[in-house]
Amino acid sequence: MFSYNLQLALRSLKQRVQLTILMILAISIGIGLLITVQTMAYQNEKMPLAHKADSIYFVQADNRELGADPIVSQPRMIYLTHRDARNLMTGDTPAKAHTTVWKTDIILNSLDQNIRPFRSRTAVTNHSFFSMFDVPFLYGSPWDNESDNNGAPVIVLTKESNELLFGGENSVGKQLRVNDLSVTVVGVLNDWDLGRRFYDESYSTSRHDTAFISDTFAINNNIMRNERLSCLPQDSSKRGIYRTNDVQGLINSECSFVRLWAQIDSASKAAEYEGYLEQYVMTQKSLGRFPREMNNYVTSLYTMVTLANELRGGRDPLKYIAPLFFFVCLLNAIGLLLAKFMRKSNEVSLRRALGASKSTLMGQYLLEVMLIGFMGGILGCVFAYFGLQGMMRVNVYQSDYTVTLDSLRHAFAMDWIMIGKAFGIAIGSTIVVGLYPIWRIINIPPASQLKSQ
Amino acid sequence: MEIRPILLSMKRNKFLSMVISLQVMMTLTVLSIAVSITVATLSQWNMPSGLDHDNIISVRTQFFDPQVNLQNAIVDDLNRLKQISGVINVTPNKEIPFDAGRPSRVYLDADKDAAGHHTNFFEMDTQGPKVLGLTLIAGRFYRENEIIRGHADEVKASVSVVMLSEDMAKELFGEKSPIGQTLYLSKSSEPAQIIGVYSNFMNGERLNGRGKSYHSVIKPQVTWSSGNNPNYLISVEKGVGSSLFNDIKAALYKTPGRYIYGVELLTRTQKRMYDGRGSNGAILLVISLILVLIAGFGMAGLVSFLITQRQKQIGIRRALGGTKWSVVRYFILENSILTVFGIIPGLLLTFTMALIMAQESGQSFLKMDLVLYCSLFIWAVNTFAVWLPARRAAKVSPAIVTRGM
Repeated sequence: MFSYNLQLALRSLKQRVQLTILMILAISIGIGLLITVQTMAYQNEKMPLAHKADSIYFVQADNRELGADPIVSQPRMIYLTHRDARNLMTGDTPAKAHTTVWKTDIILNSLDQNIRPFRSRTAVTNHSFFSMFDVPFLYGSPWDNESDNNGAPVIVLTKESNELLFGGENSVGKQLRVNDLSVTVVGVLNDWDLGRRFYDESYSTSRHDTAFISDTFAINNNIMRNERLSCLPQDSSKRGIYRTNDVQGLINSECSFVRLWAQIDSASKAAEYEGYLEQYVMTQKSLGRFPREMNNYVTSLYTMVTLANELRGGRDPLKYIAPLFFFVCLLNAIGLLLAKFMRKSNEVSLRRALGASKSTLMGQYLLEVMLIGFMGGILGCVFAYFGLQGMMRVNVYQSDYTVTLDSLRHAFAMDWIMIGKAFGIAIGSTIVVGLYPIWRIINIPPASQLKSQ
Repeated sequence: MEIRPILLSMKRNKFLSMVISLQVMMTLTVLSIAVSITVATLSQWNMPSGLDHDNIISVRTQFFDPQVNLQNAIVDDLNRLKQISGVINVTPNKEIPFDAGRPSRVYLDADKDAAGHHTNFFEMDTQGPKVLGLTLIAGRFYRENEIIRGHADEVKASVSVVMLSEDMAKELFGEKSPIGQTLYLSKSSEPAQIIGVYSNFMNGERLNGRGKSYHSVIKPQVTWSSGNNPNYLISVEKGVGSSLFNDIKAALYKTPGRYIYGVELLTRTQKRMYDGRGSNGAILLVISLILVLIAGFGMAGLVSFLITQRQKQIGIRRALGGTKWSVVRYFILENSILTVFGIIPGLLLTFTMALIMAQESGQSFLKMDLVLYCSLFIWAVNTFAVWLPARRAAKVSPAIVTRGM
């Protein structure tokens, strides 16, 4: 029965083949755009470090002056001052590990000038960063706790910067200069499938950091703070000097710029950590700091990313246009389908008169509709692939070729989930809109169309 | 006249009519939103730059070695750059045209609640206006002895004279002459005297967004500090542009301990400024065009099918004396009625969607006249899509009825 139905459905699709092609084209173009846009959103909202997103927490506390505007949501919250981050890390903490992150730009070069100076976006952090965020190493290893304590001149490179500086060979133990400071390479990262860069809250998918240095080393040597400093109003004019020159002044000030991450392995420990943070702020209050009411955030990575997605979503007009666009395509296809079915009135009434049941006809036409949806799905995936490739190239063009195709590829990749979704939407929606035309045609009274002929 | 039979036939084909109207409704919504956003995106697009940007090179550098004597380095750089053949003029500068940073504010008086006027400061030496090819509109250019030089942390005095761009002067003083007036470059500083007005040139995307593309102030000032990169603007002979990049880099690398971010023609800076908006606008336009095409093809397919269905009626009409034109007119009229039935709810949907999107993004972008043009455009495309197959209908011979099918 199925093969008979399939045969009939295929034959019916071949009749007036232009109409069939038009229908499939309409559906597939609609699916193509929809899946392009949805894949971009899907890749953009993917949870980074998903298997650990419940045990990595971000720690913030409000040390601003009394008159400042209140902050009510985590994404708008300021970071910590350097000393608060340090105190929280060294206190009697319920967290398993801590790491801090702030950003800088350094020039990597060599003393004998045999390397073209190379500007590196750099994260300033500590040794726990690499274990907390599961960073893969190609050569060597992270620096140790000892180096964090004494500010040893060490650096971790990435595969990309190692390629540029040392031609990709194992550079562990080699010397290099950060600006005018000699440092030793202790490790080189492997490709790090980070997705979105969550650890600096930029959620950027490209322009990754190309070096990592320790906080102690950076502070001791006054490496520039490439961060927005949020300072008390009386200090705001000093921000420029704090950023480049006066590192001690910055550390003694109330300017916050340090992101503190904690690894906390259970929800009860997280509650404990909130108490720990509250306790810390109370002791600081007794020293005359933190003049405002208590406003702390201990946020899991999962919650942070979800909040950021909500905040960032909805900007792209394509997100609104694509579903409407698909709907137009669907209506278009369905108008054509209805017209096609109406032409079959004669045939259907004849078959009904000869004893074909409604359900037989229903099965046959449903199969025809599903075939159209299926072919729309295939072609739609092809269009989506080219759509994503196109969007990726537009992105590279928009960045004036400062971003490479390779670094973007993961953000524009279709996976089986999205392909499945394409077919699901294509077939599901054609069935839904095809129901009415099918219902119309199978309800034609038997032999009604025959008498006039 | 024909409206009644058309309405009757629509009633018979309720579903089909509804599908067509719905399609028009959605197409109108997508098209108006896409076109409105594109127009909003492309406002202040491709305006004259006021510069000979094909023949000006910008250089951005940074010293990473704090031991370098910056004052000497700048003098050396200027001398070395000038010696390159093909180079006409060089000036140290901070902001780069087309890429100026966050806008500053200037004030007409130091009063606590004086209103600020957005602008970008361009800090240059006496060669600056020559490099940019600015023409003097009023007053005079600044002189060598009016330039403030020094380490950024140590220079206490603010410049005593400034020049304004034509548009800046207009915003601040209207038709009055600004020469000899004073301007506060910040509320806490001493005012500077305005000595001249120069021709407009474009500052950058941040002020483009505020419709102030040509608002700038030139400060005769050259300052340096470690980490605050000396940048240069270089005017070159016509056409030699990019062939000088390597010579320029080599000249600058003669001072060790520095990194060069980029050497580029201002043409490229200008391209980069427009890239983001331009391609976004283009994507939306292409998508709307495809949509209109799909809708049009669908309509044509549908009508051509209906015509085959109605051959007999058409034949009867023709046999009873209907002209060819009256047949075509029938289909066009039918389609126009359906289009109008789609456009009315389409307008409602457009406004609703625009309202939702405006709430999310915080700015409204919908323009009534554009929506109107989009409606007309959709009607025109639909009419064309009907007219093509309807011509075929008109060829149906009246004799078809008598043939007894």
